[in-house]
Amino acid sequence: MEKPSSRRPDEVESVFSRALTVIHSALVSYYRLTDEEARGAEEDLFIWFQRLARRGGAGQMPVKLLRISLLSAACQYGRSFQLWKLGGEQSPDSNLNDILAREPDDVATDIDRRFEEERS
Amino acid sequence: MTGTVLTFPYRPLSTDAGVKAAERVLATPFDQRLAKARSLHLEDPETLLALCGILRDRVTSSPSAIRDEAEFLYRFIESPKRPIGLFDERDYFLGETALIAGAACRYLSDREESWVWFERAEAGFRHTMNAVGELSRLAYQRLAERLEERQIDVVLELVPSLIESFQKMGMPEDVLKCRFLAGLALFERDDPAGAVRVFNEICHEAEELGSERLLAEAYVNLIHAHGMLGEAAPAIEASRRAIPLLQQLDNRVSLGKVHWGLATLLREEGQLSAAVDAYRKAQEDFEALGMRADVAALNLVVADLLLEQGQDREALHEISEALPVIAELKMAPEGMAALSLVRESVRRQEVNRQALRELHGYFQELQA
Repeated sequence: MEKPSSRRPDEVESVFSRALTVIHSALVSYYRLTDEEARGAEEDLFIWFQRLARRGGAGQMPVKLLRISLLSAACQYGRSFQLWKLGGEQSPDSNLNDILAREPDDVATDIDRRFEEERS
Repeated sequence: MTGTVLTFPYRPLSTDAGVKAAERVLATPFDQRLAKARSLHLEDPETLLALCGILRDRVTSSPSAIRDEAEFLYRFIESPKRPIGLFDERDYFLGETALIAGAACRYLSDREESWVWFERAEAGFRHTMNAVGELSRLAYQRLAERLEERQIDVVLELVPSLIESFQKMGMPEDVLKCRFLAGLALFERDDPAGAVRVFNEICHEAEELGSERLLAEAYVNLIHAHGMLGEAAPAIEASRRAIPLLQQLDNRVSLGKVHWGLATLLREEGQLSAAVDAYRKAQEDFEALGMRADVAALNLVVADLLLEQGQDREALHEISEALPVIAELKMAPEGMAALSLVRESVRRQEVNRQALRELHGYFQELQA
């Protein structure tokens, strides 16, 4: 009998790969990170996500919840990074200010909804 | 607007290296760990993740040692405030180590400590990405603690909502764990036949789910329920299935409970001397695990049996052994009332058997 809470690493990788385009787009289009900055963020997110999937409660978590956690982390990363770059100042880009004013979890939920619509 | 970017202080370990580092940490005495923290990779999230997995797996093998390990890790992460991993990882590890420490305290019947650790777990988990899932696991531990404190109505009221949460999150193993609580409440309601029905269903579902751990523990509860009903054949069959699984999982807490369940069966069958021997075996198991409450509870059960055999002096000795531990544990009001009566009867050298039975019944039902 296998432990039910074990999740295969290739499954985690697959969830990440499928969400990668959306993550990149969110970091670059929403949070205005450069391509290079976004790629750096994605490397960190991948390492973090692999560990998230091995946490106590995450082993049996459905893929959708794992993906939302990943998107939330991506949005949190993008927001923190951009706020740090702005050094406490407002951006001349009003769209960026709007997205920075929103909770990263809300943005992630919107992104996930669109992700699902595009796939259906 | 302000924001902070959290970055890795150095390249993290691989998963395999994290497991090896975790083993090295556990092999290092507590007083040497801080000095060696860097070479042990104690701040690395892979090390901590592996440590949490090991501690979770071993909590039923040696709760006392696991409580100490979990407390060490919690204190290490908590102060001085260390940058651990990325995003929510520091908060997760604080929550997870506190949850493990709280669960270990629960096995050790250290109730006040359990509650404090559960508060700490909540403080950590609140800030994690998957807060709902982690807080639901914490809610399960809290309900299990409430069951041990005999707050049966509260447990039965809250279990369905927790089951619903786990169902929504697609966490079937945790759904099943909640059903254990409902089954255990039936023992408390003096309904072992109802418990047999629930735990048979749980066995079936645990098999479908592939969870050996839950399957083994469901068998243990079947031993108790059939034992209470005096049904030898199914009790022995359940123990035949449970023991190899428990040995394989090194679940020594539940192995002790198997001996307890078989002792109950022997008692129901009128084999009193054999029952005393089996209770003694369970006591040895619990003694080795530091489960003082269970040892004391069994002192009372044995005392009751000895009285039944006319061995009053030996029975008084058993009770005298148990009373200081029981008093220290600060039980629920009905337990304390029975304790007062037993204390008084010991003082008068004439045991009030009804009070004794109420007192050991208080423990016994909760161990099922």
